[in-house]
Amino acid sequence: MSSNKVLVIGGGPAGLEAARSAAELGGEVILIEKRERLGGTPDRENYAKLTHHWRDASEAMGELASAVTGNANIEVKYSTEVKGMSGSAGNFTVEVEAGGKAESINAGAIIIATGFQHFDPGRATQYYNYYSFPDVITLTDLEKMLKEHNVVRPSNGQPPKKVAFIQCVGSRDRQLGNEYCSKVCCGIASKQAIEIREQLPDSKVMIFYIDMRMYGYWENEIYWPAQEKHKVNYVKGVISEVLKKGDQLLIRGEDTTMSRPMEVTMDMVVLSVGMEPSAGTRAIAQTLGVQQNKYGFIEAGGTGGLDPAATSVPGIFVAGAAAGPSDLDDSISEAGLAAARAVASIRKAMAAA
Amino acid sequence: MPTTQENWNPGKLEDRHPEVSYEEKERLFLEVKNDPRYEDFLYGCFECGICVSACPSARFYDYSPRVIAQAMAREDIVRVYDIISEDIWNCAQCFSCVRCPRQNNPGGLVTLLREVAVNNGLQETKDVLQGYSRVIYKVMLKGNQVSPDMLQPDFFPDWGPWVGQFSANMPVWRKAIPVDTLRGVTDAAWKTDRKTLLELYTIWFETGNMDIIKEIDEGLYDLLADVMQEELEEG
Repeated sequence: MSSNKVLVIGGGPAGLEAARSAAELGGEVILIEKRERLGGTPDRENYAKLTHHWRDASEAMGELASAVTGNANIEVKYSTEVKGMSGSAGNFTVEVEAGGKAESINAGAIIIATGFQHFDPGRATQYYNYYSFPDVITLTDLEKMLKEHNVVRPSNGQPPKKVAFIQCVGSRDRQLGNEYCSKVCCGIASKQAIEIREQLPDSKVMIFYIDMRMYGYWENEIYWPAQEKHKVNYVKGVISEVLKKGDQLLIRGEDTTMSRPMEVTMDMVVLSVGMEPSAGTRAIAQTLGVQQNKYGFIEAGGTGGLDPAATSVPGIFVAGAAAGPSDLDDSISEAGLAAARAVASIRKAMAAA
Repeated sequence: MPTTQENWNPGKLEDRHPEVSYEEKERLFLEVKNDPRYEDFLYGCFECGICVSACPSARFYDYSPRVIAQAMAREDIVRVYDIISEDIWNCAQCFSCVRCPRQNNPGGLVTLLREVAVNNGLQETKDVLQGYSRVIYKVMLKGNQVSPDMLQPDFFPDWGPWVGQFSANMPVWRKAIPVDTLRGVTDAAWKTDRKTLLELYTIWFETGNMDIIKEIDEGLYDLLADVMQEELEEG
């Protein structure tokens, strides 16, 4: 017996948009979320402002969420995790645990939107001492400070005068196994650098990078204003290590375009951590039996590479950062595509039945 | 000092001018930065090198318009002092560098840096410009350009070692060239009448050019000012 239900797994931006789109296309949607809240990583990790029009992140996530919770064709199940799956396209049976109770959901198509997690800088191959020096923090730690308008050195509670961002932490590194670019960190670091300069006008902010990847409008909306208006310094060169010097941090690298080694003291160092598949993404790939790529993300793209919503299993689709590093625009675009594919797949299955 | 980048590179940079205090270097830097033209000359730098690629001087000298834009943008005070005391005189002010995708104008920065260098009478600036005192003398006092007869090795060291050889054998070289071509042009390019000269002298004084000469080469200033003032008084 086939089902007309679309099961969306994950309540972050991609999952929320997939659910909304599928419902608008006439699908019956069940969205399951592991936490008791919707909004995904932007909500859990206290994102302050989005690069999109400098919007308040919780407000923007709230809009995505209320489009789902207010829709009669979408059922949201919180505190729910997938435990097993059987069947095939048009007729999947998914075993879930909802609030501690086992349940069975019948669905015609499945959309995976289980997202990413931020790279754990304890695994970095460079010596950044994230777990040793309190003034070495990550983009996510800083985002929380910016949200609270309280950018201070964790070591002494004082506002930092000199802040360095180190790019590509956990990305583009063969030794780590993460050879890919995480796509968003250049934009996020630049956005945060601007926010620091706005909140602490006396501060000096530097970004140490391998390549600045400010594609599309991030160039003119973030990168150029950061340099030109907010006087953020960009230096091409990877920092090899962060050391202690008095009550400051000493960073070592090469100022490549000036062709000289450099050692500079900083009050605070921000590690621009990249994306890795979330624990949920790794687990769901196993449970549903969809292929993962060598980095653990869901293998997407279909046989010709031009079907970004397709997984290795017919009837199961993927959206957002579960398939690899992705910004909000990409995640939400992919979610719309996954919704269209899922609804179409159900119609095909029902027509065949 | 909040606007500057102190100790950009404390451990490694070789400070080529330790005899000049950091405060003095910063003062000169701020004089450049506070020029009203500055913000139209420097936005932000990709450090892409298109200006160096386009720069004729960069092919022949240890000179990089990129480094100038970069050092200014980063507010690298120590580096900027190296530039103001040396690099800027390797620029031909041809402005090939303005093809910058960020619409920076490294040549314009050089203009600002030169003005500050001259206005402050830096010793390195005096040394560099000494070879040109003969040109300044000719242009400002005679209202005329450099003529072939002035091609003497001592005056133009930067023209290279061949100038000496050419100068020594100048009569021989000229004999090899048809006489008509050189008639009346070896000692002057044109005749400047007295009225024009007096106007020029007035302009040099009124526009502050004489003050600049005084800052850079006092001997030359005395020489020029004596003659000019006398002529102006005669009317």
